[in-house]
Amino acid sequence: MIRQFRLARPLAALAMLLAASAAGAAGTAVPSYTLDAAKSTLDFGFVQAGAQNKGHFPKFTVNFAFADDNLAAAHLEVTVDVAALNTDDKERDDTLREADLFDVAKFPQARFAATQISKTAGGAYAAAGSLTLRGVTRAVQVPFTLKSASEQGRQVLYMVGKTVIRRLDFGVGQGDWKSTEWVGNEVTVTFNLRLIAAN
Amino acid sequence: MQVRNTTARWGGVAQFLHWLIVALIITQVTLALLASDRHGMAKLALLARHKSVGITILMLAVVRFAWRLINPTPPLPLTLKPYERFLANFTHAALYALIFAMPISGWIMSSARGFPVSWFNLFQLPDLVAKNRPLYEAMLETHEALAWTLGAVATLHLLAALKHHFVLKDTVLRRMLPFSKIP
Repeated sequence: MIRQFRLARPLAALAMLLAASAAGAAGTAVPSYTLDAAKSTLDFGFVQAGAQNKGHFPKFTVNFAFADDNLAAAHLEVTVDVAALNTDDKERDDTLREADLFDVAKFPQARFAATQISKTAGGAYAAAGSLTLRGVTRAVQVPFTLKSASEQGRQVLYMVGKTVIRRLDFGVGQGDWKSTEWVGNEVTVTFNLRLIAAN
Repeated sequence: MQVRNTTARWGGVAQFLHWLIVALIITQVTLALLASDRHGMAKLALLARHKSVGITILMLAVVRFAWRLINPTPPLPLTLKPYERFLANFTHAALYALIFAMPISGWIMSSARGFPVSWFNLFQLPDLVAKNRPLYEAMLETHEALAWTLGAVATLHLLAALKHHFVLKDTVLRRMLPFSKIP
């Protein structure tokens, strides 16, 4: 009896642990979100000949799975159609698509994949991951904020953020364009996304 | 050399501004012609310099105009016929108008194109108008037409100065030249 009793307690503990991990496993099924493309923007700002200029990527997709209480299971992936870039100036857009700059014939897409999403000060978040642009992959940190709302019975997230990347790190600028005298190295990427919970 | 103008000749400041603007206008034409058959980075760099020099001319034009207002203007020779007097005044007025109109039309053109103007990469100037493609195209034509006008008026101005010096043998050219002795 005594022996059985001794065994019962570890068994019970094991059972509880299993139950807890089962609950944890259930928690990994964090809700996923789809991009509301019509109400989302992905912009970039750069210095051209000493003056601030801007453009945007009208075509991109976002894969986002997120629950505030289970960041380990969160997931973020952004794929950008670089060829669709738009600076509101056809001549400049054509130049940007050329081999010495984005080389969209060879590298039509850019991709950011977060490997870790963590909380930062003031209720903001940071997505650490890798950005692949023009065939070069580099580690990038993307800070962002999230605002959650319920709209027409659906859970909606507003994701807003900004990060600065150096174009030359990714080889965007070969030949003459390696110079940063007339086109700055730093490019500010800003995003304003509306994400709708998938049912 | 006298800094201010006298009734006999232009002073040092007026001469300096006159000849500096001449040199910068020649620079502008050179940069514009070089840029016209380049593309990519080379064109961007040439046009950026063209814009910076243009804004410099505009600033100098303001100083020059103000300096003219607060200084005596050496009068035209009394021997001029009325039509020559009119032509001289018209040419000078047109040249003043053009050293303002050329840079301003270029500035409007840049703003309308959506490429803001920077002065030698040091500071960015405000846009004069919102981005507007048809306005950009109209300003491009205007800027070019003004450049041809400036070329024509400046040629007339140059020929007149040479006529004063070599044919009429008066002091009109010499009073704008540094180091020239005027009795």
